[in-house]
Amino acid sequence: MLIPHPLLGLRDAQEFTYLGDARLIDRPDPTAPDAEAAFCDYVFLRDNQAGAHRELWFHEQGDRSWLVVTRDTVTHEVLCAELARDVALSRARCSK
Amino acid sequence: MTRLAGGLINRSQSLNFTFDGRRYQGHPGDTLASALLANGVRLVGRSFKYHRPRGVLSAGSEEPNALVELRTGARQEPNTRATVVELFEGLEARSQNRWPSLGFDALAINDLLSPFFTAGFYYKTFMWPKGLWEKLYEPAIRKAAGLGRLSMEADPDTYDKGFLHCDLLVIGGGAAGLAAALTAARSGARAILADEDFRLGGRLLCELETLDGAPATDWIAALETEFDSLPNLRVMRRTTVFGIYDHGIYGAVERVSDHLAQPGARVRQTLWRITAKRAVLAAGATERPIAFADNDRPGIMLAGAMRAYANRWAACPSETVAVFTNNDDGHRTARDLASKGVHIAAVIDARPKATALADYRVITGGMVTASRGRLGLKSIEVHANGRSEWIECGALGVSGGWNPNVHLASHNCGRPIWNDVLQAFLPGEDGPSGVLPAGAAAGHFSTAKTLRSGAAAALRALNVLGIAAALPSLPRSEESRYGVAPIFHVPGRKRAWVDFQNDVTMKDIKLAHAENMRAVEHLKRYTTLGMATDQGKTANVTGLAVMAELTGKTIPETGTTIFRPPYTPVALSVLGGGDAGPHFRPRRLTPTHHWAKAQGAVFVEAGQWMRAQYYPRPGETHWRQSVDREARAVRSAVGLCDVTTLGKVDVQGADAGEFLNRLYSNVMATLKVGRVRYGLMLREDGFAYDDGTCARLAKDHYVVTTTTANAGLVYRNMEFARQCLWPDLDVQIFSTTEAWAQIAVAGPKSRALLARIVGGFDLSNEAFPFMACAELTVCGGLRARLFRISFSGELAYEVAVPARYGHALMERLVEVGADLGVTPYGVEALSVLRIDKGHAAGPELNGQTTAAMVGLGSMVSQKKDSVGAVMSRREGLAGDRRRLVGLRPVDPAGKVVSGSHLFAEDAPQSFDTDQGWVTSACYSPHVGSMIGLGFLENGDERLGEVIVAANPLEGESARLRVVPACFVDPEGERLRD
Amino acid sequence: MTDLRPITALGTVTPGYASFGALDLRENAGLALASLALRRGTLEPTPFGLTLPEPGRWVAWQGVAALCTGPDQWMIEAEGRAELDFSAELKQVAPGCSVTEQTDGWVAIEIVSRAGTGLEALLSKLVNIDLANFGPGGATRTGLEHMSCFVIRRGDVHAAVLGARSSAGSLWHALETAAKRLEEKVA
Repeated sequence: MLIPHPLLGLRDAQEFTYLGDARLIDRPDPTAPDAEAAFCDYVFLRDNQAGAHRELWFHEQGDRSWLVVTRDTVTHEVLCAELARDVALSRARCSK
Repeated sequence: MTRLAGGLINRSQSLNFTFDGRRYQGHPGDTLASALLANGVRLVGRSFKYHRPRGVLSAGSEEPNALVELRTGARQEPNTRATVVELFEGLEARSQNRWPSLGFDALAINDLLSPFFTAGFYYKTFMWPKGLWEKLYEPAIRKAAGLGRLSMEADPDTYDKGFLHCDLLVIGGGAAGLAAALTAARSGARAILADEDFRLGGRLLCELETLDGAPATDWIAALETEFDSLPNLRVMRRTTVFGIYDHGIYGAVERVSDHLAQPGARVRQTLWRITAKRAVLAAGATERPIAFADNDRPGIMLAGAMRAYANRWAACPSETVAVFTNNDDGHRTARDLASKGVHIAAVIDARPKATALADYRVITGGMVTASRGRLGLKSIEVHANGRSEWIECGALGVSGGWNPNVHLASHNCGRPIWNDVLQAFLPGEDGPSGVLPAGAAAGHFSTAKTLRSGAAAALRALNVLGIAAALPSLPRSEESRYGVAPIFHVPGRKRAWVDFQNDVTMKDIKLAHAENMRAVEHLKRYTTLGMATDQGKTANVTGLAVMAELTGKTIPETGTTIFRPPYTPVALSVLGGGDAGPHFRPRRLTPTHHWAKAQGAVFVEAGQWMRAQYYPRPGETHWRQSVDREARAVRSAVGLCDVTTLGKVDVQGADAGEFLNRLYSNVMATLKVGRVRYGLMLREDGFAYDDGTCARLAKDHYVVTTTTANAGLVYRNMEFARQCLWPDLDVQIFSTTEAWAQIAVAGPKSRALLARIVGGFDLSNEAFPFMACAELTVCGGLRARLFRISFSGELAYEVAVPARYGHALMERLVEVGADLGVTPYGVEALSVLRIDKGHAAGPELNGQTTAAMVGLGSMVSQKKDSVGAVMSRREGLAGDRRRLVGLRPVDPAGKVVSGSHLFAEDAPQSFDTDQGWVTSACYSPHVGSMIGLGFLENGDERLGEVIVAANPLEGESARLRVVPACFVDPEGERLRD
Repeated sequence: MTDLRPITALGTVTPGYASFGALDLRENAGLALASLALRRGTLEPTPFGLTLPEPGRWVAWQGVAALCTGPDQWMIEAEGRAELDFSAELKQVAPGCSVTEQTDGWVAIEIVSRAGTGLEALLSKLVNIDLANFGPGGATRTGLEHMSCFVIRRGDVHAAVLGARSSAGSLWHALETAAKRLEEKVA
């Protein structure tokens, strides 16, 4: 597979390690009253969907960026790739 | 002799070769198959199951029959297709799957027993008694049924790999591929033309039809000259594109030196990973036979192959041949062979009407219903218009039509589409993206159409890429008709072969149908149709056409099996590639590696690292002697150990302390500059996963260490935390594991030793206490870092210098510490010392243990959040009452074995009563017996109790006393001294 | 100055050197390295007069060079200054940035084609990067025989590979093997 790195262009997937669902960016609030339940979901529960899936890839043999890659799990077509840092920062803004 | 006139062989040079020990001669340009045919050899092998005599069927990579063992010794390669082996001087080949000889094969008895060997026979026959399957049936069957033999020697050859990128990859160098490559090359696009043959031209080389009134080879030669002048086109001969993968990645094997008489001087094959924006698939088409009774005799071959042998290789299996066809193309074979003086006994055309292309007998509406000739064809029985006759011929060309080579276009789960006019599957639309089929692969069977379609496909691909290109002028060429009729087999009661390689006959398919193995994937598994080296290239379509007929469905309703790489067989060696032995994978050497080697150290692999395990001295005959001595030296004097392999990460930034607070379970932000703190990291699920130290060099600068094994993982997780979880923190991290050589200086005399290299630096306990760190200079001005930390429980330091000085520093410390008894120690002694002290390491932090279990529960701060903190408090983890304890054998000479499970004395030993396990064990020279660490239910409350450690694998059990998990200096006075 | 004698990443006193056909491989033991990262709110500095390059690029200026290693991160190279405290120097000229000493973390192998050809053929055997977009001034990190390396195109006929110091021997072996095979092919 080829991953369209937002800074470096198309890069072979062999340069990356895969983590999984991009929801891992949304770490629950540890001070919330239901923190334990929220963390339980966060750590253990994943949707296993056929179709567009946002997932985390680490450019380990590259620039060490974490990317959020949107990939169609049926066709392997990569629809979009963003720097996870940008995604995380925009989430933080939204939540404030 | 059956060598004809003409052909693309170099008759001015002869090549000697042997087949089954007999000497023959051929010429450059020959394949092994063409040379054998030219020498009158029709019998080349025995079939897989029935040991039927077999000859060459095809002239290409689809060959199911002519499999030979090539070369000798370690280079002997089984199942090599004679049709693609380029002849070289001294070639040695042997037939396979026969005993004692090809002409007389004792196992041909299987053929007489064929009623027992039908599809599914293994499953039905050898069910009982069960015990005999592995011992008797399977070995016997494997011996009787099979292909070639492995040499059982190590592969002496080297293999290479490489990476190519291009705009357009053209797969196949026949008419369509050449036209596509020409279009791309002239446009200036970066293009690659890959062809499996050793000569460009594909089917053009096998036909007599002219291009612009001249032989096709003239046009090809002109093209090759032009190609050589265009640096943007890379022509790769002897290169098979074997698979298409996601996003335009293509796998290809280039056979670099397989064709050389003297192999081994260069790499044998190269595996290319090609990334192409677009590809033109010009892979051509493969002819299929028609199944009729005894259609597998040597001399019966594909009509197109027969023509190829005559035209390209000037070889013909017999002086009298017949052709059996259901289309016009079969007549071209008769015409070309007749023009070369071969006698055409008849052309049997299954269609009611047909026109002869030359002066030969045509039997229309005819079927070949039988054949004779034990080791080679002698005659065929022809049935037409209600009458039968036997016709003498030494060879029969059969054409059941042509199947476009849709394989690559059907990778990535592409489904080919049936075309009724062509009676064949064409590439579907849902295969790998960016692949444009052209030429015969797209169902264009005349040369003119093929050329046009190749150029047009390239043009389309380049246009999409925004590369301006023009259609090249293409030569005038034949536009003959094809006119295939849907005839796949001749009805009859005798066995008619569909899959030659796997000995699958019409009967087997009927049986599969009768037993409800009707889906094509079931048909394949039940009968083995389409398996093994040829993957049914000549058999699959016929097989599923027959199944369609039996079920009353159409062929498209019946469908095809899934196509998967590789297109043709690929040697595992080239996929494995690269180096064996010490260079099999990268090796990481410590800065003192060469020094340790010179000392005679024994090394152990720790991941990619090579670490000194122990340093044997003269007179020491057992590793334990060396390890005991090294461990004692640390307890009594001073030892040196290279600990560079521990991961080191430089953490800087205004929020570095806060960042580390969130990563470590304990508090790091309050650490004073110039101090070190032990830290424990949890996974987000609450389990402990790594530990290390955290040293604060400045307000905004920390250096943290990780375990050797987890260095990469911790770094990845730190980047995850930095980029994904808390991108608002000001923190920068860099790995510096390699930059510093770090040497542990441990033992009561470590301060005395270090004092000799640190110049004026004050090492006193007051000035530089336990858990202090500093930047300083050593050995007369060398920048260094010093950490007062201890893994052994002794007074100890770790000193770090730029890595290139590690070797010299080690030498210096050994030199200046001789009178102090300085002793280098390896990881074995390191491990003994840490078990002595009860420090948790890999065996304890195995991903299943909580901080509380290793006695570090108080390190999980309740005052702040950190990764894993919330989940560490969940009931299942917080309630785990297993605790780390020390274990000593009640019998001082007794053993402690790690992995043993712990039980209360006199309790039954079962899952229900399991109370824990031994994580680490060693002989401790300090204690004077074996000792262990382990997790035990309520272990902290059971000190002094005697328990049982069971080691059922060895049938052993031992009585152990539970003691505190610290066998040396439990108050920690020594390291604070 | 210390009286200890350093060894090169390849474990010898003199840097590694080998020649295969038109290609020279040379261990660059004198190259000083330091990484530089922007802190929050800092402006991009111009250390030693260098304009820090974009992702995928390398720039050189009067014996000092920089390649982009990641977002807001660069590796700074200084020819012949391995024995000096280069990171301290860099810190002086990059105020408010995070600087980490890297000199001894790496082995640098310079690859020069004397005949002007063969460099791309060599790289295509080693790294999966599109060489058409990797002319002089290109720099990237990628995998090379399972080792993570920086590959820098210093010029038309000059490239460099920076790999982890501990696996210098494996990296040298990989480059040497590839260069040797190219020579065989020409022969």
